[in-house]
Amino acid sequence: MKFFNIILFFILNFYAYPSISSNNFNLVPIEISDNVFVIIGDNENISIENGGAISNTGFIIGDNYILVIDAGPSYIYASNVIDIIKSFSDLPIQYLVVTHHHADHSFGISRYLEIDVEIIIAPAELKRYLKYGHRSLKQIKALIGEDWLLDTKINSFEYKVKEYPISLNLGNRNISIELFEKGHSDGDLIIKDKNSNILFVGDLIFNGRAPTVPHANINNWKNYIDIISKRDWNYLIPGHGNIIKNKNELLPTKNWITFIDKTAKEASIKGVSALEIFNEGLPDFIKKYKLAKETWYRDLPILIDKYEFD
Amino acid sequence: MIKYFLFIFIYIYSGVSFSGPFSDFKAGAELSEELSSSPTAKRNTPNSDSLVQSIDALNPENSNVWRDLQDNLLGNDANVLFVDDIKLIMQDYIEEAHKVPLIVTLPKRLHNFKNFVLIIENNPIQQAMSIRPYRLIESLGMNIRLEDDSPVRAAVQADNGIWYVGSKMAFVASAGGCSTPACDPSVEVCETGTIGKIAIKQYEREAGAERIKLKITHPMETGFVTDLEGEIIPEYFVKNIHVDDNEGAIADITTFAALSSDPVILLDLPKKGQSVRIHVKDSLGLEFFSYDNNTM
Repeated sequence: MKFFNIILFFILNFYAYPSISSNNFNLVPIEISDNVFVIIGDNENISIENGGAISNTGFIIGDNYILVIDAGPSYIYASNVIDIIKSFSDLPIQYLVVTHHHADHSFGISRYLEIDVEIIIAPAELKRYLKYGHRSLKQIKALIGEDWLLDTKINSFEYKVKEYPISLNLGNRNISIELFEKGHSDGDLIIKDKNSNILFVGDLIFNGRAPTVPHANINNWKNYIDIISKRDWNYLIPGHGNIIKNKNELLPTKNWITFIDKTAKEASIKGVSALEIFNEGLPDFIKKYKLAKETWYRDLPILIDKYEFD
Repeated sequence: MIKYFLFIFIYIYSGVSFSGPFSDFKAGAELSEELSSSPTAKRNTPNSDSLVQSIDALNPENSNVWRDLQDNLLGNDANVLFVDDIKLIMQDYIEEAHKVPLIVTLPKRLHNFKNFVLIIENNPIQQAMSIRPYRLIESLGMNIRLEDDSPVRAAVQADNGIWYVGSKMAFVASAGGCSTPACDPSVEVCETGTIGKIAIKQYEREAGAERIKLKITHPMETGFVTDLEGEIIPEYFVKNIHVDDNEGAIADITTFAALSSDPVILLDLPKKGQSVRIHVKDSLGLEFFSYDNNTM
């Protein structure tokens, strides 16, 4: 029996990510600076193994209030994050900043609505969340099963239109929130904690994987990356992947979007179909990116279609 | 003890990779590495047996429906040959079954074909389109709907009357390309474009060849989708597209609701067309022109 238990132990550990039956996320908060935390997501596509927890979540604790950055992919995920926050502080979670509407960043909103949190999201992105959320939720349920998305709902909520940039005081802790319109999404929010000089940039930067472009204006996005690069920051937290310390780590995102944009534009000028480009095999340039193939196949036809008939 | 086994079973089972089996867009029964090595639970989705499965499914001898389809669509006494040199370029594994891009390339000996029929065996609407050309055509493209995993076959009738058929197996991740709404009004805001808006693009290709792309804004209702009240949305689709230019007719295209909404059709001509235009008729008898019809 003892031997059996040891085997069991190894088997259970072998699968690092919890599965359908358990619906628990393996969330590990990292304290980057005093009272500034990040939970790094599984840097992969949404899958049955990771339950959708692929993007990064942050939280910042002031003397009076707590601010959370991104709601995560589901109600259960958000509940887990709230539990983690409570293990560090009893202060109220006052603000939830949703950097943009994509499911992996926004679907935890329904959980935060239960605890009376002020939700900050760009108006254009709230609109998209409400418009496409149900469909996207259905698709993700089909992909990874209902259990991971238990109690996850797309709720409309009371919303105050804001003037950006927003300044918040969490109690001896000043936060500024800036809006970058029509870049990676229609409205990406960037959050800066002034005390620690840490910047949370959402999906304007992807680290260690191919960036996704379905709702992007690539010219603006490239400019925004330059702006972010010129800013002063100690650490930068991307929407996906590890914490960034050096400015040159912003380049892969810029290079990918430049490359896919150029490819799509050329194709649309020549009338080349995405299928024909795919049939040539994956370009060498993008092979070094994680999730290159999936992202390339999904995004290139969208871009070509946009440039060809719009 | 049983509990332990159950745990182990669930863990092992759920550890089976569902991650992206994406294709290399090979024509024919070839499958990409990922496809042949990504076992999934659902029957008929890509798994380690996918290649075998697809070779089996593509064999018309194994098909329950091919014989009837052949009689109905190609003619009772049709002389049919299955060939490898008609290439269907499409994904092996389809995520969005409402809109599946497909390109059919023809060998040179078939550029002067008389008739072309695109057949999706396991669709409720099995014929997606047919074309009668008036000029040489090198390749064709279209966006189709797939209800479920299915062999897709391009039947091309040569000058000699023989039908040459090229095939490709497509696996569908979430079924229902014909029977579920492309946009579900119960859960989202659907924007319907103006019906009958036409876009024509002409692209120069090598050696004086030309690619024509047509896009027609149209719902292409299949008649298998129900609305919020459970009422069936009646079928409504583009029926005919007449393509011509200054020098006369290029092709007559007959289309069915197995084409995606806002269908895009691609034609590669070895010789450049002059100011290509189209005349479209739909199943309610509405007509749309890419040009000012008053001049006719």
